[in-house]
Amino acid sequence: MENKKAIIDFEGSISFETMEKLLNQLKSARQFNALRKPVRKRVYGTVVESIDNIFKYSAPVQGKVQILKRPPQIQVKEQEGKFIVSAGNLIQNDQVDDLRFKLNRINKMDDKALKLLYEEVINKEASDRDRGAGLGLITMALRTDENIRYHFDPAGPVHSYFTMHITIKE
Amino acid sequence: MEKLIIEPTANSPLIVLDPEMRNFEFSGESRPENVRKFYLPVLEWLEAYTASQESLQDDQRTSGLQCQFNFEYFNSTSAKYILDIFKSLNALHLLGLDLKIKWLYEEDDEDMLEVGQEMSRMSKLTFEYIIS
Repeated sequence: MENKKAIIDFEGSISFETMEKLLNQLKSARQFNALRKPVRKRVYGTVVESIDNIFKYSAPVQGKVQILKRPPQIQVKEQEGKFIVSAGNLIQNDQVDDLRFKLNRINKMDDKALKLLYEEVINKEASDRDRGAGLGLITMALRTDENIRYHFDPAGPVHSYFTMHITIKE
Repeated sequence: MEKLIIEPTANSPLIVLDPEMRNFEFSGESRPENVRKFYLPVLEWLEAYTASQESLQDDQRTSGLQCQFNFEYFNSTSAKYILDIFKSLNALHLLGLDLKIKWLYEEDDEDMLEVGQEMSRMSKLTFEYIIS
């Protein structure tokens, strides 16, 4: 078993500029460039969608103490011939059921069902799009052979810390 | 109608909509910070172009319009707007314009080929798939 150093191991506030820096870090990593191009694109796309997901679901800023305590995080590491993209962020408790429903639903689906759901969601009206209808999660599910692993840790009366892990085979 | 050219950046694609040259082109990476703001002028341009073509007699409409899609990567939010672009192109197709849609992908990039096939099916347009 060989566990290599993480290619990305970031914890802190994530802005669009931060995303650019993280993607550049990914693109310049030796392990990343050693991958076959299709796998490289899957890893790259999964990192983009994971960060977009943090933008979509992040709980509004309510105080510095709380943010410093549970900042968003994104990690990309190579483990036993697989790439694991992990992302975590604080969400509001009232988002937990919706997110759990979407993740459970896609984890139960095969590729055919995922493609049907993809078509349904991509054709929704713009107003639905802006709320985040879950296309990013479906796209990630289509690019991995394993279920998306996730969990919610209670983080006070209003928030939970959401973490998900997506595995991409080399 | 005036052509529309949007220069590429590290996170947004090159877009060329040039009716005089009968050339529509999209290439590069698409994950702009504000996807809606980025694609709205493109969709508005296509809507205006469709209206301008609609007002012409059948034999005066543009023919042989080359539409080339050569995306390196696009995120899921961009995918929604790219599908909207194809739906706009379908409106032109239904007016009788002869569109040649080319979807370029790298030889072993099955994901990009598959997305193209899905876009073709959902927009009811015929694509030619070309290895870049």
